Amino acid sequence: MGEMLLNRPIAATFRWLHVNGTKVNVPDTVLERSVDVEENGEETVVTECATPNEKFVGSVGENGTLRLIQIRRKEDPEQVINDVSVRCAKGARFEWYRVILGGAATYDNCSVALEGEESSFAASIGYRLGGTEKADINCEAIHTGPKSRSDIYSSGVLSGQADKLLRGTIDLRHGCVGAEGAEMEDVLLMDEDVRNRTVPVILCTEEDVAGAHGATIGRPDANTVYYLQSRGVPREETEKMLARAKMDAIIRRIPAESVRDALLKAEDEEA
Amino acid sequence: MDNNDLLAVEGLRVSAEEKEILRGIDLKIGKGETHVLMGPNGAGKSTLAGALMGDPRLTVTGGAARINGEDLLEMGVHERARAGLYMSFQNPVEVPGISLENFVRTALEQRSGEKVRPWAFHKEVLQVLKTLEMDESYAERDLNYGFSGGEKKKAEIFQLLLLKPSLAILDETDSGLDVDAVRTVSRGIEEFRKNQDASLLVITHNAAILEALHPDAVHILVDGRIVKNGGPELIGEIGRDGFAAYTGEEVHA
Amino acid sequence: MNGEKTQVEDVHQEFYDFRFDESDFFKVDSGLTPEIISQISDEKKDPAWMREFRQHALEVYSRMKMPDWGPSVEGLNMDNIVTYVRPNTERMNTRWEDVPDDIKETFDRLGIPQAERTSLAGVGAQYDSELVYHNVREEVARAGVIYTDIESALHGPYADLIRERFMKLVPLTDHKFAALHGAVWSGGSFVYVPKGVHVDIPLQSYFRLNAPGAGQFEHTLIIVDEGAYLHFIEGCSAPKYNVANLHAGCVELFVGRNATLRYSTIENWSKNMYNLNTKRAKVEEGGKIEWVTGSFGSHISYLYPMSILAGRGSRSEFTGVTFAGAGQILDTGCKIVHAAPDTTSYVNTRSISKSGGENIFRSAVVVEKNAENSKSAVSCQSLMVDRISRSDTVPVMDVKTNRADIGHEARIGRISNDAVFYLMSRGVTEEEARALIVSGFADNVSKELPLEYAVEMNNLIRIEMKGVIG
Repeated sequence: MGEMLLNRPIAATFRWLHVNGTKVNVPDTVLERSVDVEENGEETVVTECATPNEKFVGSVGENGTLRLIQIRRKEDPEQVINDVSVRCAKGARFEWYRVILGGAATYDNCSVALEGEESSFAASIGYRLGGTEKADINCEAIHTGPKSRSDIYSSGVLSGQADKLLRGTIDLRHGCVGAEGAEMEDVLLMDEDVRNRTVPVILCTEEDVAGAHGATIGRPDANTVYYLQSRGVPREETEKMLARAKMDAIIRRIPAESVRDALLKAEDEEA
Repeated sequence: MDNNDLLAVEGLRVSAEEKEILRGIDLKIGKGETHVLMGPNGAGKSTLAGALMGDPRLTVTGGAARINGEDLLEMGVHERARAGLYMSFQNPVEVPGISLENFVRTALEQRSGEKVRPWAFHKEVLQVLKTLEMDESYAERDLNYGFSGGEKKKAEIFQLLLLKPSLAILDETDSGLDVDAVRTVSRGIEEFRKNQDASLLVITHNAAILEALHPDAVHILVDGRIVKNGGPELIGEIGRDGFAAYTGEEVHA
Repeated sequence: MNGEKTQVEDVHQEFYDFRFDESDFFKVDSGLTPEIISQISDEKKDPAWMREFRQHALEVYSRMKMPDWGPSVEGLNMDNIVTYVRPNTERMNTRWEDVPDDIKETFDRLGIPQAERTSLAGVGAQYDSELVYHNVREEVARAGVIYTDIESALHGPYADLIRERFMKLVPLTDHKFAALHGAVWSGGSFVYVPKGVHVDIPLQSYFRLNAPGAGQFEHTLIIVDEGAYLHFIEGCSAPKYNVANLHAGCVELFVGRNATLRYSTIENWSKNMYNLNTKRAKVEEGGKIEWVTGSFGSHISYLYPMSILAGRGSRSEFTGVTFAGAGQILDTGCKIVHAAPDTTSYVNTRSISKSGGENIFRSAVVVEKNAENSKSAVSCQSLMVDRISRSDTVPVMDVKTNRADIGHEARIGRISNDAVFYLMSRGVTEEEARALIVSGFADNVSKELPLEYAVEMNNLIRIEMKGVIG
């Protein structure tokens, strides 16, 4: 397919920041999956994102729940393109657990349409990037259903010359009366040469809604390091602990016990 | 220096943001002793605790402090902890992603350099939670994350009982403690003192905590100096008359 | 409800919406050619370098694309815009009595000379594209403070000072309207505060665009030298016409070592104005720029004051409120570049959207690799007054070092019914209660303004809020 502009956010901004989409060489073949959860149904899908170009299309029927757990491992293909789009009917819930353990380049796009009343979307995005690894993520919650909810939480660690760009958009469109959207990102920067771009967008055309976002970006907090040290942990160890905590905060949310435990065990071995 | 002294502070001067707060503190705490530090707001009580623990925001400009004969001021923060010092924070930091139990276990491993067996440790955790009348779910929660003020205080006492330091400084200056938290602190102190050698420095005005304490010594800190050393009788005196006699002003505890 | 709204807009315009016949005024042809630019240079008696500069700017302008990421500026047909309108006054006046009567009347109604008499260190007034009035208090002038029109300063003792800096902070290639500004700029102020001089009372500059279909392209250049302090206030307004007007001014601020500049703006352009203004400050070691801005007017605004923290320990504070009503799209915010160690930025903005108005808060916080120990905290809050309006928040944080602490928070919500009920229970009407709540919401800015401006801003909010009850 050649070079394409991926991860274009709903709202563009200043050109010189280079966040209005990313040009990527897209392979011709796409691995497509599609999952439809029936009314009141419940399904958990685990994917390893081991192919360079994947597309996941989901729909969740009334009061159904779809959980998509996607792990991106270091040893996967150098470049991974992962495109997720899900629609939620009334009372439907979509949970996206995205764990990026490394890999040269990761392009993630996750777009969720909260069409039904009281539909909800929860994203838990964790990343740990080092060396020259990069991740470019676009995550959008499009609210049209009344009282719909979205919660985009991401937490990660960058070291070496890692480069991460995360755009999160909560789009509170006309009709989503009583909707609430929140996004939060917590980024720990371990080395001087990292680059972190955070773009937490809220778009709103409805009155009776609540939208909030927050971000904290920086090195390990001095007060936290002091506190942990005061209990007998040396400085380098406190930094390791805090870095691990950023990943664990996401991994521990994963509802599939076997996946969660395997990841936590792998983290233990890493430490 | 007396060999029996666990902590010996001599002429300690400490500044914060270039303002001198402690202006020459002398203090000795022996093994197994309980001391109380009292003083009006802003006297420098929490600064003393922080300076001993190594708070990076404070600068020691003079004097000495030793723990078991070793130079405390030369040590990094974690080395002070390993040397047996523990300080309870007034505002413990929230750390999402690390559970309370895992943290204390890791801290113990770091202190001793040896692996702690998770199961045996978990049993001890449950025992301490029971002693402190805390819910079992505490141990699984992220370190102070989303804890209320009272919950944070309990978590500090919980860590105290598991880390078993030789000298604990409990900074209870914060008068906003609820009844429940006060009970936890009192129970924690009682439990901690079951070890004959454990020493304690309590900074508080809280009558409920002081009552059961029966301290070996009481020190009054005013304007960066210890203006009076005495016994438990000082507690009653301060409770009655405040610090007016020491400050020259009408200041009540 | 419609009737009530219309009526309210009329009330609002009553104060600003007076106009005078501009038939006597000299105009250049619509559209831009090298000849027109050269005509401007002739009129201005530009020095040679400025003649060249304008022609070069025109080339850059013709090459550049219109912005494609913000609100549409299609309503602005550049070929039809008269870019240069000059009131028929001879030269700059320093005595109020010498200002032509119709212009004087305009400013009188806006209270400009009164304000000067009571609380300002100096006043400049720009009418369409010319600066018509300039005056500085004697004691301020005696301290060596220069406050004059920039055109005549180009020929005076400060010519080199200006030439070294003119459109260096805001390069022509910054965006299409910056290039346009470079080609057709006209009028504006030059301020120089010498080393260590503390100007205790604010200097004020007032801009008024009176001719329909015209542009205002004033250039403001302020140098606050080492250790000095200045508070500069600008106010902007224009009456309402049916054709689009354009404001593409440029503000370049140079804050020296350990100097502080507070730059306050209350902008109430009429609702047919395209306000494509560029403001930028460069702050040296230990210096501080404080932006205080209230944006109420214009049809379309693109406005993002930028702070370049170039010296160690330099600081930027940005406090803003934006109120978008019917027919308005206000794309505002700020940009901060941390380009030195120990730099700090603090941003606190509020926006209110009502009656179909659109607010876009847009920001960029860039922390360069060398900006170790830098801190940035951005907080923006948006209020949606009804469900036909729009409020977007589009911040970007680009952090290129780990040795920085960057925080950001934003919140969108509505007026709390509980609060309205509470106030009504104390005897105020619903309309009044909502206006009170919105004024309180905007107090981040009103707290920072001199009293008479704060009062003026609260009046604007009150007027804007009336008739909103559906």
